[in-house]
Amino acid sequence: MASSSTTSSLKTLSSFSLKASNFHPTATILPFTTSYSSSSLSKTLKLNITTSPHYSSVPKRSFTLRSQAQSSSDSVKVQELSVYEINERDRGSPAYLRLSQKSVNSLGDLVPFSNKLYTGCLQKRVGITAGICVLIQNKSEKKGDRYEAIYSFYFGDYGHISVQGSYLTYEDTYLAVTGGSGIFEGAYGQVKLHQIIFPFKLFYTFYLKGIKDLPQELLSKPVDPSPSVEPTPDAKACHPHAVISGFTD
Amino acid sequence: MASSSYALRTIPASSIRPANTSSRSIFTAPPTKSSLLPFTSSSNTSITRSLKLNSTLPHSFYFTSVPKKSFSCKSQAESSEAAERVQELSVYEINERDRGSPIYLRLSQKTVNSLGDLVPFTNKLYTGDLQKRIGITAGICILIQNKAEKGGDRYEAIYSFYFGDYGHIAVQGPYLTYEDTYLAVTGGSGIFEGVSGQVKLHQIVYPFKILYTFYLKGIKDLPKELIVETVEPNPSVQASDAAKNLEPHATIPSFTD
Repeated sequence: MASSSTTSSLKTLSSFSLKASNFHPTATILPFTTSYSSSSLSKTLKLNITTSPHYSSVPKRSFTLRSQAQSSSDSVKVQELSVYEINERDRGSPAYLRLSQKSVNSLGDLVPFSNKLYTGCLQKRVGITAGICVLIQNKSEKKGDRYEAIYSFYFGDYGHISVQGSYLTYEDTYLAVTGGSGIFEGAYGQVKLHQIIFPFKLFYTFYLKGIKDLPQELLSKPVDPSPSVEPTPDAKACHPHAVISGFTD
Repeated sequence: MASSSYALRTIPASSIRPANTSSRSIFTAPPTKSSLLPFTSSSNTSITRSLKLNSTLPHSFYFTSVPKKSFSCKSQAESSEAAERVQELSVYEINERDRGSPIYLRLSQKTVNSLGDLVPFTNKLYTGDLQKRIGITAGICILIQNKAEKGGDRYEAIYSFYFGDYGHIAVQGPYLTYEDTYLAVTGGSGIFEGVSGQVKLHQIVYPFKILYTFYLKGIKDLPKELIVETVEPNPSVQASDAAKNLEPHATIPSFTD
C-alpha cells in the first residue's frame, strides 16, 4: 500500500517479493482457531497494542465469570473470516501524497488507497478495500515503513468492516476491528494482516466477535498464501457466479 | 461535502421506513440496505454486549486475571440468546456555510475527482426535531473513486458527532454522494462510551443537509432531550430560528461549536 513509484521502494519490493515465509511473525502473536472454548477467552482479549488509550473507565469483564459458570449459550464466539486484498493496478491506487516534501518517506506523507477484495478461496469477488495509510516513520534498518492505517473492507450487500491499526511494510501486523455495518454490525475483534507481496497481495484473517453466523459463501477454505496466488479468471472478470451479491466496485 | 463545482442537487428522500421486527432476525439472504431494520424492542442485555470491548483499547486489557462482576451473572441467567437493546437516535447535519467547510484538497492533481483527494469537513448538528443545536460533526472524507455512471463519488468517511457535554460518537464507513449508506459506529465518549452499532446516512440535499439515524447498542438510556419526534426529511428542512441563533432554550448544555 505504500509508494511504488520511487526507486527505493522498487528495491524494497524486490527484497520482499519472494520472502513470504519471513512474514510469519516470530513474535508471540498467535492466531487462535478454536471458537468456543472458554480457555480461549483470555486470548480473545489480546489486542494489538499500537493505539493510544482512550478509556478512563474499564468495561465489565464478567464473560470470564460466565465461562467459570460453564455457560455455553453466551460464550464469546469468534468467527474467522479470510480474504485476499489484491492490487490489480486498475484503480489508480495507491496515491502516494508526499506532503512531507522530503526525499525519503517521512511523517506527513499520506497514502489513500483502494484495492480489490476476493474470498479466501479466491473464487469470488467480494468487493474492495478503501481508506488511508498515514506514514509514521521510515524504518530504514528494516527496509520498510510504519503506517497507521484506517480503512474499510466492503462486502457488497453484506455490509462492511472498518479497521484501524498498524501497517508495517516489513512484517505482519494485527489491526483492530472498529465496527461494521450490515451483517457485520456490532463487530469487534482483530484482523491479522499478512503481506504476501508488498504492496500488491495481502491475506487477511479476521477474528470477529459480536456478530451472527457468517454466510457460508464467505467461509470457504482459503487458499494458502503464496506469491503466485491469483483470483480465478471468472472472479477477476466478475462473472455472475463468481461474485457475491452486490459486490462492491 | 465534495467539490464546490457540483451544483446543488435534490436527492429524493428515500422513504425507507424501519418496521418493527423480531430482534433475532437472521439474514437468510444477503441483505440489501433497505432490509436493514432497527431493533426497537428492548430485551435483556446479553453479556456479550455488555462486555463489548472497543478494539482500540489500551494494552491494560491484556490481562491474565479478571475481576468478577455479579450483575452480569444475574443477567446472564435471565437472557437466553444475544438479543441486545438498540436505541435509535436521529440528528440533522446541516452545512450553513459559515464554518469554511468543506475543504476540497485536490491532492490527486487531476481534473476529475480521483483517489488522492481529501475533504476535511465540519458542519452543525441539530436534534431530530430541529429545535435544538447539539453540536458539530468533524472529520475527513477520502475520495476513493469517481462514479461517473452514478453521477457522484465514493468516499471513505471517518468522523465524529459532537454532542456537547454528553460526549461524542465516532463513525467510519462509506459515503456515496448518490445514495444512502450505513456507517459503522466505532465508539464514543461520555454517555456514548462503549457504544457500538451502525448509523444510516440519508442525504437530503447534497452536500448540505443530511439526516442520520443511529442504531446504538451498549449504552445507557439516552437523555430525553435527544429523543424527539424527527422532522420528516425534505429539501426545505432547516433548524428553528431559535436554534440557529443559539438561544439558551434551543441548545443542549455546552453544545459543541
